[in-house]
Amino acid sequence: MHLAKPTRIAAAVAVAALALGACGSSTSSPSSGTGASGSSTTTSGASASGASATGTSASGTSGSTSGASGSTAATVYSPPSATVNVSETGSTLLYPLFQEWQKGYHALHGNVSITPQGTGSGTGISDAEAKTIDIGASDAYLPSSAFSQYPGIENIPLAISAQMINYNLPGVSGHLKLSPTVIAKMFYGQITKWNDPAVKALNPGVKLPDLKVVPLHRSDGSGDTFLFSTYMTDGAPSVWKLSYNTTISWPNVPGALSAEGNGGMVTTCGQTKGCIAYIGISYRSETQKAGLGEAMVQNKAGNFVLPSTSTIEAEASSFISQTPKDESLSLIYGPGSDSYPIINYEYAIVNTKMQSASAAQAVKALLSWGLDPSNGSSGTYLDPINFNPLPASVIKLSDAQIAKIS
Amino acid sequence: MAGVSLEAQGATPDDLLTDAAGRAAGRGRRIVDGVGWGLGYLALVAIAGPVVWVLAGVFARALPHWQWKVLWTTGAAGTGGLLNEIVGSLLLLLGVAILAGAVGLGTGIYLAEYSKGRLGGFLRTASEVLAGIPSIVLGYVGYIAFVVTFHWSFSLLAGLITLTLMGIPYTAKSTELALRQVPTGYREGADALGMPAMHALRHITLRTALPGIATGLLVALALSLGETAPLLYTAGFTSSLPSLQLTHAPVAYLTYAVWTFYNQPSPQAVDLSYDAAVILVVLLLIILVVSRLVVGRSQRYSETGGR
Amino acid sequence: MSAEPPVGGSTLQEEPPLPALHSGRGGGSGPVARLLPRVTGGIAFVPLVGLAFIVGVLLVEALPALRYNGWHFFTHTDFSLGNSYGGIVTSDGVKHPQGADYGILGWIVGTVLSTAIAAVIAVPVSVFAALVIVFKLPRRLSTGIGFVLELLAGIPSVVIGLWGALTLGPFLAAHVYPAISAVVGGTPSRQGLLTSGLVLAMMIVPIVAATTRDLFRTVPSLQRDGATALGLTDWEVVRAVTLPWVSSGIVGAAVLGIARALGETMAVAMVSGVILSGSPSSLFAPITTIAATIVTQLDSALTDSSGFAVRSLAEAALVLAVITLLVNVLARLLVRRVAATGLPVGRGV
Repeated sequence: MHLAKPTRIAAAVAVAALALGACGSSTSSPSSGTGASGSSTTTSGASASGASATGTSASGTSGSTSGASGSTAATVYSPPSATVNVSETGSTLLYPLFQEWQKGYHALHGNVSITPQGTGSGTGISDAEAKTIDIGASDAYLPSSAFSQYPGIENIPLAISAQMINYNLPGVSGHLKLSPTVIAKMFYGQITKWNDPAVKALNPGVKLPDLKVVPLHRSDGSGDTFLFSTYMTDGAPSVWKLSYNTTISWPNVPGALSAEGNGGMVTTCGQTKGCIAYIGISYRSETQKAGLGEAMVQNKAGNFVLPSTSTIEAEASSFISQTPKDESLSLIYGPGSDSYPIINYEYAIVNTKMQSASAAQAVKALLSWGLDPSNGSSGTYLDPINFNPLPASVIKLSDAQIAKIS
Repeated sequence: MAGVSLEAQGATPDDLLTDAAGRAAGRGRRIVDGVGWGLGYLALVAIAGPVVWVLAGVFARALPHWQWKVLWTTGAAGTGGLLNEIVGSLLLLLGVAILAGAVGLGTGIYLAEYSKGRLGGFLRTASEVLAGIPSIVLGYVGYIAFVVTFHWSFSLLAGLITLTLMGIPYTAKSTELALRQVPTGYREGADALGMPAMHALRHITLRTALPGIATGLLVALALSLGETAPLLYTAGFTSSLPSLQLTHAPVAYLTYAVWTFYNQPSPQAVDLSYDAAVILVVLLLIILVVSRLVVGRSQRYSETGGR
Repeated sequence: MSAEPPVGGSTLQEEPPLPALHSGRGGGSGPVARLLPRVTGGIAFVPLVGLAFIVGVLLVEALPALRYNGWHFFTHTDFSLGNSYGGIVTSDGVKHPQGADYGILGWIVGTVLSTAIAAVIAVPVSVFAALVIVFKLPRRLSTGIGFVLELLAGIPSVVIGLWGALTLGPFLAAHVYPAISAVVGGTPSRQGLLTSGLVLAMMIVPIVAATTRDLFRTVPSLQRDGATALGLTDWEVVRAVTLPWVSSGIVGAAVLGIARALGETMAVAMVSGVILSGSPSSLFAPITTIAATIVTQLDSALTDSSGFAVRSLAEAALVLAVITLLVNVLARLLVRRVAATGLPVGRGV
């Protein structure tokens, strides 16, 4: 079965939800770059085009009912006229998106080619810092030390992703409810059986099997580990003492497993009864095929929620007013009562001082096109990987960062 | 099974002889004989079995969905074929053949023909020590030095130099050994005929040693083909054909497809990773068969020549 | 610990140059002949320069980590990038995130134990198989087995890892490990120490078996025939003559295999469970090795903008390089005579 919905925050809803202030700056005037093309064109922006993008997205009907999207215009720059290649490396979650963007954008602008690589967020960050790549992709935002050490470095949110907590429990239908404390205890080896009283207490009436809990974590450094450990740190401070990072020294629990990449997590968990794992939402259809359950996860307000368009939107909304200009922000464990607690911005890491004017122009053009709800952030691109588009006010912040690239 | 083989270590022939003589019946001895060789055959099965298992597993997974077009279409996971990886791998192999071949040839010739005393031994040891460096260490150094410090980015040259460093010891060693195995009579004969040294090297020594040199090169190529660790952080990856730019342009290669694509969401990507595994095995088989042919020729040559 | 690489010194070999080409005769051969010794002599320094480059880069990169991590690096197990979001601090002139902590004891233990399991399995299997190959099989068949060995040596590490992770591991965990765990305890798991050891065993069999096979072929038939004439069975000849004749060579072959297992990367990364804390508590417990840690954690280390994580991994790489170098030199001293095998026996592929 396909749980899907158009997994996108209708930009409009976000606008309605927040920030009238965002409207004010809607007419951002891009400093159009060098190229012969000269004029920067603002293609989208009409509510009409936004709506049509929604309409064409595969699963049709969505919550994007509000029509007040007049001010969500993303600024889309024109690429240079010369032949140019944009190199991208980093996050494996963003890799499929950049691959699709590559095809879509190249079809529009034949002189711009993009070479995406899925290497890992760390590589994306460090290569962007070292300027050996045009665009780095990362699931995690940059630490403040990076901004001071590499002047001109920016992290620009492109979309919103979420993380599922999955399990392999044959015979258990529906969605188990899990709290951060219970999850943390499982990864610490303090809860070793699925029919542990603590799990039962959260799931009255569910017949839980007498199965060993097998915690599964990523073997490679990963933005997913970063998100998961942030959720643990925020949600289960009494149990989780490992802090948060892209790699952590996992507790040495007997029988614990590791896997490479989200795909490896799905495969390994699918083969292991009793497994519990954290998996990026772009792999949702794979987890369903593998027969994995998806937990309702407890948020800060104490409610148990599944990741969905609306719960992700709610979580994002609760943070929007806090999003700083540099857009470095954890979106984990927000206060909203319906919000899904494990979501994040997917970032492009860019150095504002590019190697050449044409490279700068091409990167600006590509990123702004990618952010645009009627282009790169339309359902055609985001739905297959279950990403949500950015709220309009965040698009504006990203736009402002993109404008600085030169 | 483990450990049985070493029990013989302490026994001297005399012990065994008297032991054997004592067991006049011979039936017990035949049983021991049978058990010993039985374990040997079992060991053979224990080695060959997993090889067959691995290959059968890979082929069984790949062949049902095999499409020839993966050989001539480019693309990334789940979209298109493996042409970019195949061309990239072949390009890297070509580079290794040229660089490791040339350096190995020069080093081997020097060590076999010219080096004197401790310097030769020192250089030879350096080469052997280089062979012992784990490939992940090579890859790590390649990343730090070429990609980051030299600002080459993920590139053909970064991957190539890293692989070449790995291959040189094999080509150097095989060249030296092959030259040393050229019968002294050949050299003396050439000398006696007053042949100029250069002419003798080209037409007598190197020609005779050629199969050995070629075998070493093929070994280096087989190793390079199967490497992942030194390339992950040096060659990078690209979904398009390699540009011939030496730096600042990543190169795709086949082992990357195996390592990464099986983690991609789409089933086609997983298919592609098994396709890549099959192509790797086929290329490996080609290299092995060629090297067999080369060795076979050289054996015939030396057998007729030696007598 | 900042060990000098064991270049030269102990393993200096002096082999005489061959006659004829350098004899100075053949004067009419022109400038090429005069240049050739110099050109090839220059080229012959490339491996040395390459080696120095590798060690140099590692040392330069690792030096700050060596200073900050100190001996503590070897006496505990941890991989904590520290609070890289809490700012960078400087201690002893080394920039690092607050709370960064690295210790490789458990990784070394994992490396050594998995390699030991591999050796314990692979060496007897290889020796037995080599005996059959040399003394029992008809020539054509033994050539075929030689081909299988070369094939096994050449199968890419990732392909074996894929099979080990998705086929062998689950199979063993379901059908074999429960029986073992009933005896030795532990929770059966498809990833971990034993699976890593088994996959490594498979990967070092070619080098050990091929080297032993070549060793057996050097045993003079006169001695063996003599023993047979005395009435010994084939197997008694093996125990009385063949094995004693090559015993030190077998040890050398085993050490060559061990050297390879120590540096093996991709396949181990896929079947070890990659647990960066602590040492294995049972035969099935997840482990990591130094090589597997480097390849799986480099990306994560790169997120540390102070660069300290990368430096600490460089220190780990240096440790691994030194260990494998020492073992390799030892092996080559033991099997110098048979190191001439032309088999594609690599390391850490």
